[in-house]
Amino acid sequence: MIFFLNLGKTNKYESHFDKIMSYAHPEVLVDTEWVSQNPPNENRKLVEVDYDPVNGYQKGHINGASLIWWKRDINDPVTRDIISKKEFEALMSKNGITADTEVILYGDFNNWFAAFVFWVFKIYGHENLKIMNGGRKKWELENKDYTTDEPQLPSTTYVAQPPDEGLRAYLFDVSRGIGKEDTVMVDVRSPAEFTGQITAPPEYPMEHAQRGGHIPDANNIPWATAVNDADGTFKAVEELRQNYEPKGVTPDKDVICYCRIGERSSHSWFVLKYLLGYPKVRNYDGSWTEWGNMIGNPVEK
Amino acid sequence: MLLDLPIIEKGSFYFIKDGKTDLILEDKTKRGLEINETSVDEKLNVKADKGMIHDMDGIGHWVPIRWYFSKDSYDLSEVLGHAESMEKKYTELRELTCPDDDD
Repeated sequence: MIFFLNLGKTNKYESHFDKIMSYAHPEVLVDTEWVSQNPPNENRKLVEVDYDPVNGYQKGHINGASLIWWKRDINDPVTRDIISKKEFEALMSKNGITADTEVILYGDFNNWFAAFVFWVFKIYGHENLKIMNGGRKKWELENKDYTTDEPQLPSTTYVAQPPDEGLRAYLFDVSRGIGKEDTVMVDVRSPAEFTGQITAPPEYPMEHAQRGGHIPDANNIPWATAVNDADGTFKAVEELRQNYEPKGVTPDKDVICYCRIGERSSHSWFVLKYLLGYPKVRNYDGSWTEWGNMIGNPVEK
Repeated sequence: MLLDLPIIEKGSFYFIKDGKTDLILEDKTKRGLEINETSVDEKLNVKADKGMIHDMDGIGHWVPIRWYFSKDSYDLSEVLGHAESMEKKYTELRELTCPDDDD
């Protein structure tokens, strides 16, 4: 098993290995130790995904990692949308990535934006893709080294797949899903955002909506309930099941995750789709900043 | 608890609270912001609780949430001067973005 080389050495490693192997798709996760022992090379690229690269990547990053800046690189510069297939191909080329490259993503803010980028990579069909469990938070807790050197990456030719729209929910999908028994919405924001007490955390004054509250019948299962608070790693599979199933978020449903701008919800999308193996999970990236600003949309508090 | 301290002056955008050793000036626009560090604010040269606010590009900027003016070095009128400067700045900003429709 290539993604975890320390297995079997000690009970701690065995226990960690068992935990990862119990996920539905263990191949999408690597841990910090594995990354420290397996630097990027011609066929493996390490990419830091930051919301705030000034206080993240630019201050220090894992040796050999390139940067994807969520705001600049993965969003269309004018229209509110993710980048087009052509722009994605250009981004891959700039980061030295081919369609066959093994890509490992990690980032700031508990890997929220790394998960968003994972989702975009999957929309454009990249297969060999992993997330470093715990992101910058765990790497820093372990006092592992950073560098400010930026890698020189030769540009590549990348041909992406047509977008997989089955991973993405649009406003009309959400409107149509309200009241349907086979559809369940997961609002992954904080309880204060869910109840409409606040429309955005104070740290993000630019991301408010005109109305507070949530989409009718949505379940409030904050993203943070899927991770271990101490190091930001994902909880064990049984804990994750207990987090979602009692609230009716079950594998037989069409699951739509949303938050405020679609980044925290891509984290929960990743958990449901890849760690629990739910077959139909979509990320509604329009999220509350779209829903809570649209005239006439129903709102529940 | 800072919340329980008596308020000795207040404006639309600030409180001045009476601490044991400090007069504490609070920026009301930063209510709820998590305190990430406490260090000297270079502008006012007093200890301040600071948090981070992210701009449209996602870049974080350190902002003071409250300032601690030592009673040994500052009296209320000096703190009030800083408070009124802040009040003026925010009032002008509000006028710029949400002007009154009086005329």
